[in-house]
Order: sequence, then structure tokens, then C-alpha cells
Amino acid sequence: MFASILASGLAAGAIYALVGVTYNTMFSTSRVMSFTAGQLAMLGGVFGSMFTLKLGMPLLAGFLLTLIACAIVGIITEFVAVRPVLKSLDQHLYVLSTLALALMIQQVAAIKWGTEPQPFPRLIGWGSGVWDEKFWLPVVACAITIAGLEYLYRRTLVGRAFVAIAEDNFAARALGLPERNLRVASYALAGVIGGIAGFSGGELLLAFFANGALLNFYGFVPVALGGLGNNRGAIVGGLALGLFQQAANFLVGGIFSSVAVFALFIVVLLARPQGLFGFQAARRV
Amino acid sequence: MGVSRRQVLLGSAGAIGAATTFFPKPAVAASDPIKIGFPAAMTGPSSAPTIGFNRGVTFAVDAINAAGGVKGRMLEVITRDTQGDPTKAVNATQELISQAKVHAIWGPFNSGEALATTPIMARAKMPNVHPCVVETLIDPAKFPNAFRLAPSNNQWDDAVRNYCLNILKVKKVAVIGDTTGYGVTAVGASVAAFRKDGAEVAYQANIDATQPDMTPDLLRARNAGAEVIVVWSVSTGMEARMFNTRAAMGWDISFVGHPSMASGELAGLVEKPENWKKVYAIGYKSCSYDASGKLPAKSQDLVDRLLKANVSVKDTLLWWIAGGVDAIDLIAKAVEESGSTDSAGIIKYWNSLSKYPGYFGNYAFSPTQHNGYLTEEIVMSEASSAKNGTFALAPGYT
Amino acid sequence: MTAVAEAPVRSERRDLRGIGLQIAPFVAVFAAAMILPFVSNDYWALIGTRAAIYWVLVSGLNLVVGFAGHLAIGYVALLTLGAYTTSVLVAGNVMPPLDVFVALAVAGLVGAVFGVVVGLPALRLRTFYFAMSTLGFATIVTQIALAWQSVTGGGIGIAGPEFPAPFNTAWGYYYLCIAFAAVCTWLSANIAHSRFGRALIAIRDAEVAAEATGISKQRLLIAIFLFAGALAAIAGGLFASLQTYITPDAFTFDLSVLFFIAILIGGRGSILGPLLGTIILTILPEIAAPLAAWSTFLYAVLLLVIVLVMPGGIAALLDWRNRRPLLSNRAIVPRPAALAEVLRKSPGDNVLRLRGVTLSFGNVRAIDNLDLDVKPGEIHGLIGPNGSGKTTTLNVISGYYVAKAGTIGLGERVLDPGEPTLRARIGIARTFQTPRIIGEASVLQNVMIGGTIDGQSSFVEAMLSLPRNRRDERMLTAKARSLLNVVGLEALADVRADRLQHSELRFIEIARALMLEPDFLLLDEPAAGLSGDEIKRLAALVSAIRQRGTGLLLVEHHADLIFDICDRVTVLNLGRILAAGTPAEIRVHKEVVSAYLGG
Repeated sequence: MFASILASGLAAGAIYALVGVTYNTMFSTSRVMSFTAGQLAMLGGVFGSMFTLKLGMPLLAGFLLTLIACAIVGIITEFVAVRPVLKSLDQHLYVLSTLALALMIQQVAAIKWGTEPQPFPRLIGWGSGVWDEKFWLPVVACAITIAGLEYLYRRTLVGRAFVAIAEDNFAARALGLPERNLRVASYALAGVIGGIAGFSGGELLLAFFANGALLNFYGFVPVALGGLGNNRGAIVGGLALGLFQQAANFLVGGIFSSVAVFALFIVVLLARPQGLFGFQAARRV
Repeated sequence: MGVSRRQVLLGSAGAIGAATTFFPKPAVAASDPIKIGFPAAMTGPSSAPTIGFNRGVTFAVDAINAAGGVKGRMLEVITRDTQGDPTKAVNATQELISQAKVHAIWGPFNSGEALATTPIMARAKMPNVHPCVVETLIDPAKFPNAFRLAPSNNQWDDAVRNYCLNILKVKKVAVIGDTTGYGVTAVGASVAAFRKDGAEVAYQANIDATQPDMTPDLLRARNAGAEVIVVWSVSTGMEARMFNTRAAMGWDISFVGHPSMASGELAGLVEKPENWKKVYAIGYKSCSYDASGKLPAKSQDLVDRLLKANVSVKDTLLWWIAGGVDAIDLIAKAVEESGSTDSAGIIKYWNSLSKYPGYFGNYAFSPTQHNGYLTEEIVMSEASSAKNGTFALAPGYT
Repeated sequence: MTAVAEAPVRSERRDLRGIGLQIAPFVAVFAAAMILPFVSNDYWALIGTRAAIYWVLVSGLNLVVGFAGHLAIGYVALLTLGAYTTSVLVAGNVMPPLDVFVALAVAGLVGAVFGVVVGLPALRLRTFYFAMSTLGFATIVTQIALAWQSVTGGGIGIAGPEFPAPFNTAWGYYYLCIAFAAVCTWLSANIAHSRFGRALIAIRDAEVAAEATGISKQRLLIAIFLFAGALAAIAGGLFASLQTYITPDAFTFDLSVLFFIAILIGGRGSILGPLLGTIILTILPEIAAPLAAWSTFLYAVLLLVIVLVMPGGIAALLDWRNRRPLLSNRAIVPRPAALAEVLRKSPGDNVLRLRGVTLSFGNVRAIDNLDLDVKPGEIHGLIGPNGSGKTTTLNVISGYYVAKAGTIGLGERVLDPGEPTLRARIGIARTFQTPRIIGEASVLQNVMIGGTIDGQSSFVEAMLSLPRNRRDERMLTAKARSLLNVVGLEALADVRADRLQHSELRFIEIARALMLEPDFLLLDEPAAGLSGDEIKRLAALVSAIRQRGTGLLLVEHHADLIFDICDRVTVLNLGRILAAGTPAEIRVHKEVVSAYLGG
């Protein structure tokens, strides 16, 4: 019992954490919280199933195509829903535009892919029971992604340019960094991360169009807990959420477990509005 | 930006104006089409039944129209997507009644929607057939215009309970449902009925359909000594997870319950085909094949015609398609026999049917009985035995 | 250069015409609603009733989202609550059945209380976080409705309340809901146009300045949440009756988002915009309906298009007044002489005293052991290089920062540290280094905000537009106009503030600060960005303020201005006092010259 809660909790938590990282990546270069983060993860599962099962491609090719497709969706998000509203003074418009785009993505998936959850192929086939692939794959994918991002942000020039734009937009532009191109690139990167989340979580969550809305919320909780823009905090928050959710499912059953999750989320946020790892807002006067 | 604000404002004003302009309706001519309203959850969750019904509807309408229609009048289906949302269902139903002015409505297909739309259709005296299972939807006194052509949830519950207690002969059951409105209510009713019949409910639970791991729940059921698991859920994802978990646990127990357990997509969702064995889903005599693989003659005839018309039956259930066909036929026949599309005439015709031979079932309606499906036509099917959307009878039936 | 020197005479007729223009669109909508039954069928009755019910909720939510700026996306929680409360009370599941109107009123009360519960996190959480917390509430309420079978009927749901004749027909109910909608429009418009509505916008767009004028965010938001919650719950009861039967799955995320979108499409700070937005969003899915499966997709596309093409919302589209071009050669010509007529209160004798004030940011000593006196009727200049602690000093006096050591006293009283909202009431006002003005509001409204706490009427009196509130409004309007006259900007009174030049904004801030007739005025670099002429006029204005007995603390970089008008000057360097004395003394002080003045 305990082992299965641990396995499924960590697996679900890893997926939530990756969606949280997707949010953070989009936020970091645009200061926009995009409602399309969860939809990108949903597309990771749907595209993955489509390429590998429906079209019968080899796994690696299907995986890469999925990531490319998700990156394209990420870029479309930037062009259509983010760039136009950054110009305007009213910051809250991004909520509307990304919401509309997320709804469009969800509807197309529902119509073209279908409204029933479709199967996702077994990828490697190692393990069974508590060590089944559907449990360890998301965790491994999460770890690799985080390691990759750390390397990107710390060791490569492009990564450091991302960090620069995130920390001080004006200074970065003054230094001549191509802000717009970097923003598009970071949205593509966010798409890739979302795709990884959906692809690695496909066996657990199945290729289901309604996953998008679900992951939008559960992927945001790690962001809230970990502090905006803080990837490490998102990982910890995501894993904690996954474990808590599975434990609640076990202890109080389906209906009340979501009540428990949301209630805890609100309580934690009220106690520490900046998140468990976030920083207090700077001087405001 | 490219489009000027003025253009957008004028354009949208024009669009709204066009949509709200009321053209005078011409007088009804005898050759006007017979309009059938179809409020369906096409992009909402669990739209699989709707897609099945839609195929039956399209097939039946095409067939009737190809043969010259009903007394020279063509059938026209007006579809609205309700997305499983009662608010949209109410809007769509009222639109079908007052704006599109349909003559009968087939649907909705989701109990939450039906609960909200039934009073509206009653107020408008709109002839209505639907397959939704909630008991309170059918009330000949309050809703004289509403007829159900599928079993009610009580009938389903009776069939499942009968199979568990009298054929499988178990004493302890586990009852599991999802967390939708339907699942919560169905589990509650089922548990109460089992207890009333003297069985012991060792474990009951409502599980979130997206819960990724079913092991804790099945373990608890096993520890409580359950001998059969009764399932009331519409989520094939959740059901697949339960089947796979049962195999992983090595637990030899049967699943009995909701017809969705026989749904075609489960083939892709279970890890091994064996995981889908010993699952008995509600089925219908008309859609079951016997030990030698033969369907009842009438159903075979329908399957042949469907295959000839290139209507896919493999990835859906025959009873959905048959239900759709029957609904259209019932409406067409009512118009034909009563001589017009007057609602009173259609309702009177339906009230007079004592054993209307449909493809899905034989219906009996009367002014005091609007649940048309006969309980003896409900059987349990071997869930993984699907062939063209029909099933083998579960073991134990003579 | 054309000088705007003459104050135009305001005629009663012009005011009335202004009000008439404002009301006209609402009357038009109302008239269209009244004649709808005569030109259409039951379907449009349904859609119209739905739009009216949605508007009942949105009119309250508008104050939370559009005016206060809090992204309450999950407000369907209160709709659900109201729907179930009304239905349960009428059905008699927990207590003997109540009359439907009584049940509606009870639901309103319950909704008010829960409106505060759902909204309170807004006081602590940043925007998107608050949005998510409201979504969390929405899910919690729906799940409880699903689980509490004995009361709510669980998944099967419960019948909605029925209204007595003549409201139980399609058109009868339609007119009832239109009546509710009209009343709610009136109530929310009253609040919006009162000082409470302006205070909300101030909190949204210029929170720091709002605190300086004494506006208490907490009390105001609680009042708004009570109002919006009550309206949402009443809308829920009406919704349940319209649906005739409610189940938990009727209260979807989509519905919640619809309310929110209606407000943003309508435009913030407007009543008419969200009203039209609600109507459009109710009708939009119906227009797309014939597309069946693709209808929601089309709806989303239209939404996106609207957001991109009209970012300011419908309100911005309809704001013809602000399309008129402004004169480009405007000059600011204050009338210091008029000051005496406006400011009647005579300032007291208390001295503003700082003793030994110390403040650090981390390891950096921003202010070190500062002693300062500001006497009434005296201009005290505070100068020094950048980073010497000048603005920090003002912020400590204002209460935004808490000093580590030392006291700040006004006469006998010691000022509460860290309480910026209390300063206005005891007579301390200020302007800011960068003008903190509400861009979307008019110049007049910006100035009126300065006097918010002078109003006598309560929130309820404002909501019902009772005589005392109207008196408040007349008083505030008149005073604001006079002060605009004093600073020479009366011609721009109705112009949106974000269309103004930087220098004009500075003078508006001064007018705003004078609304409460403060005993002490703190000016933070008021001359920054002003032309030479404007600085001279500023000097005259500031001197006139000193004439009537106000004490001024002037932080500045323009040495000429300082030496011109100040009575005393204190020079700061690296947080410590470098020198203090009369301007003549400071001008030749060796260290000051070498550290700061040069030459």
C-alpha cells in the first residue's frame, strides 16, 4: 500500500513538477503566466500516442516529432497570445488571450483526437508492479530535464541570456540581447518541456484531451509553492503535491481528496504568500 | 494592427444583428422536412455513446430519405453540441423548440443535461425520446411527452444484482464508482439494493477517474473479502486501470457492471488481453451472440446493412447504433401513422405501442408507462468478446 | 504659447447633459430589453433571462475584478452556493420550506459571508495566485455539493426553486430578472461613481498613493466582497430557477471564466462595458451553435480576436470623449492667490519632529541618527547627493518603512511606525518621486481621490445613493475643481490622466495632496522634469501653500529652487546630516559645496 502510494505519488508529482517548470520557463522571459502550460503537456501525450501508435513510427522518431510539434505550439502561443498583449499596458490581458488559445487547443484535440482517453504505448518495457515503467519514467524524465536546464542556464550562453532577460529586462536589452528572439526560443523550450511531461506521463495519464485543464491547475500548484520562476522549488512542490494527492486518494477517497488538495493549497499560500521557497517582494515605494 | 477597431465593431454588430433578425416564417407546407432535434454532447467528456447514437441516426435518416422519406417529406436532423453541460443543453433545447421549431427531440444523452431539459420540453409539449438512465426523468403524469427507450438505472441495477446473487451466487460484494454525479448516485442506489436483498457490501468507494493507481482500493476490497466487484463508472480509463491492477495483483475475481466496460477502446488500454477476461458488462439480448456466434436474425440484418453502408461498428457498441436507428424510426413511424407532425399525434402513437419491434429492443409504452425497455431483454455480456459491437452472453445463462 | 488662463464657467445645463450622455446607453439597453418579448420567441426569452442573471453576478464581480483589479476567476463558487442554498431552502431539506423570495434573501446573506471568505486571500496573495485560489474554492464547493447527498441530492441534484405567478412563465420570469439586473446596475453604478469606487481604482493602480491618502484597503475590499458575494449568490438562486434543476456539473469552469472574460472585454473601471460584454458573451455561443462540434472553437477564436483588437475593452471603444485631441501647446499656469479660498482649515501649531531616526537596508545604513524639524508655515529643504537617504526619510515619515531607532512625532503624538494609512488623517500629505497617478481615471477623479476619507457617508449610503452621499460627492467635486483651478489645470479636468504630460501629472499630485488641507506637505522632487518656467510657477505655488500656514518638507535636486524659497535647509550625505541651517549658511558651507553643490 505504502509502496504504491509512493510510486504513483512520485510519478504524478514529477509530471506536475514538469508542468510547473513549463509555466516558469514561459514566465521567465515574458512575465506572463500562460494557461497553455497544461495543454502542452496534454499534447505531449496525444501527439506521442498519435505518432507512435496511430502512425506506427519508431519510438525515438515519434518522441522527437512530439517534441517538435509541442515546440511549434509553444511558439504559436508566443506569437498569438503573448506578444500582442505585452505591448498593451493592461497586464491582465494575457489571462484572456492564453485562456482563449488554451480553449482552442483543447477543442481541436477533442474533435480531432476524440474525447475518450486513448492508450499510450509501452516505451521500454522494464519493470512491473510498483517498479513499473509508468511510475519511474516520469521521475527519470523530470530529473534529466532539470539537469539539462541547469546545464543550459549555467554553462551555455543562450541559457545565461535567458536568465538575464528574466532578471532585468531593460538591462539585458540595453546590452543588445535580442529580447524577442530569446522569448520565442524560451516558449519553444517550454513547449519541449511540456511535451516531455506529457510523453513520459502518457502511460500514467493516458492520451486524454481533458488532461490539459487538469494539469493547468495541478501544474500551477508547484509554481505557487515553489515561488514564481523558481524551478527547484517547483520540483519539490510538484513531488510533494503528487505524494499528498495520492495519499489523500487513499485515505479519504476520490471526492474529498481534491477538496483536501485545494484546501491545503490555499492554506499554504495564505501562510506563505510568496511560496515556500520564494522571496519577499522587493521595495515597493 | 491590421484590422481597425471600427471594422471589428461594425462587423460584429452586423453579425449579431443578422443572428437576431427574425425572418417571417412561411406557412407550413406539407412537403416541409420533418425536423428532429439532436442535442448531443459531442465534445464533452464521455461522448462515446453520442458518437454511436449519431451513427445510428445518420444511417436511419439516410435510409429513410433514400426510400422517399415519410409520405414524401424528408427527415432533417438538427444537431447541437451541448458538451455535457446542462446550461448549454437548456439553451440548445429551447433553441430547438422555439427557433429551429423541431417536431421531436432525440436526446439528450447525459443525465445531468436531461434533468434540466425535461421540464422545458414538457412545458412545450415536445415529443421526446431519450436513453438517459436516471429514474426521475420519466414520469407520465409530470412529463407526458417524455419516453425512455433504454433501460433505467434501476433496471440495470436489477440485472447486475440478479447476475451476482443468483447466477454467480456470491454473498459479499464490492461496489466501486467514479466521482461523477452518475457514479455517486449509482453506487449509493446499488449498495442500498444489495443490502435489501441480503447481501453484504464489503467495500464501497467513489474514485476519481483520473487517479493513476488503483492498487490501494483493490487491495482494500480484497482485504475486506469481496467476492465480486460491481462497477458503476463511465470512465474507460479508470476501468482499464482496475483490470490491469487486478492482473498485477494476481486476484481471480469478476467485474460486473456498467456497459462501458465492454467499450472497444479498452482493447488498447489493457496491458494484456487476458486482463479483460472475467469482466461482465450489461448487454442486451438483441446485441448478444449465442454459443455458436450467431446474432438474433433482426440484429444480423441490421449489422449487414450497416456494413454495406460503410458504417463502422468495430469501435463502438451495436446497441448505441441500434438505439439511434430505433429513435429515428419511432419518430418517423409516429409521423406516418398519425398523419402529421403534430406533437399530440406523435405522443398518442407512442402511447399506443404494446410491442414495437425495434432493433435495440421491443418497446412497450402506455399512457401510464413511459419506460419502454423490457427488463427481460437485459443480460450480462462477456466484455472482451466484442464482434462488430455485439457480445457473447456471460456464462451462466441458459 | 497659448495660456489657459481663464477658468470656464460651469453651467448646470452642461452638467445635466453630461449625466444624460452617461445614462443614455443604459436606457437604450433597458429599452431594448423591454421590447424583446414583442419581437421574438421563448428561446430569446431564455437567452435574455440568462444574460440578465449573469449580469446580476457580473455587476458585483465587476467591482472586484474591474475596479479593485483582483483576478477572481473562480466566482462560480458563489453562484453554486447561492443556487444550492436557495434550492435547498425552498425544497425544505434541512428545515421547513421557505418562500422563494425569503430563500433568495438568505442565500444573499450566505453569499456575502462566503464572498469575504473567497476574497480575503486577495489581501495577501499576488494576482495569479489569487486567481488560482478562487479556482480552488470553486472546486471545493462543487465537490461538497456532489458529496453531501442528503442535502444537495449529490450527483442527481435538486430541483430549482419555482417562483409564484406571474413569474412562472418564460416572459414573466424574464421581466423579473430584468428588474433584478436593473437594480444591480444601479447599485453597482452608485458605488462605482462614489468615492468608494474611486478608492478601489486607486488601490488597483496606485496602491502606494492610495495609502498615503488614507484609504484602508482591507475595509474597502471586505465591503466589496460582501456586496459581490451577495449578488453572486442571488444570481445563483435565479440561475437555479431558470435551469429548473441543478446538478454539480452545471457549474463549470467555463461559466466562471465567462464572467471574468465579460469584465475584461468590457473594460476595467466601467459599468457599461462589462454590461455589454456580458450580453455579447451570452449570445456569442448561441451564434456559433449551428456549427455543432466546432462551436466552442469558434467562440474561443472570437474571444482571442476581441482581446487582440480591443485591448482596452468595449469601454475604451466607447470612450469618445478621450478621442478628442488635446491642445498641444498647453501651459500650466497656477493661481496661487486662489488658494486661500479653497483651503479654509487653519493649520495648527504642532511641529513635525524627527529624533535620532535610523534605518538600514540589510547592511546599508540608509539613514543614520537623523534629527529634523518641520515647523508650520515653514519650508524645510532636504538636499543631498543620490542615495543620501532623502526619499527614504520621506518614506519613513509616511510610514512605509519602520525605523530601527528613533521617533517621529507630531506635536505631542508619536506617529505609529509602519502605518501609512494613518498619516492622512493626522494631517500629513505627500507627493512622490515618480507621479503615482491612475492613468485610466480622469484628472478630476484623480484629485478627488485625495479627499476620500473626508466623506461622511457610509458604503451602504453610497450604494443607495442617499442624500448624504450625494452631498459628499458635490463637496469633493467642488473642492477638486477649485484645486485644479489653483494649479491651473481646470481645463483638463475630464481628460484621462494618462494622456497628460509629466509636468502636468506633478501638479495634479499636488492638487490631490491638498484635498485634505494637510498641516504638513511632503514634496518628493516636485521639480524633476519641469521646465524653467514651470519651476518658477511651482515655486510661487509652494510659497502660497506656506503662506496659509502649512509646513513643507521639500526634497529637491534643483538647488536654485531650494535656495529661492526654503526657510531652512538640511543636507544629507550617506544617510547622515552633513549640515543644517538657513539657505545662506548652506550655500557657502565648505563641505556641502565640495560634496554636493560644486563650484
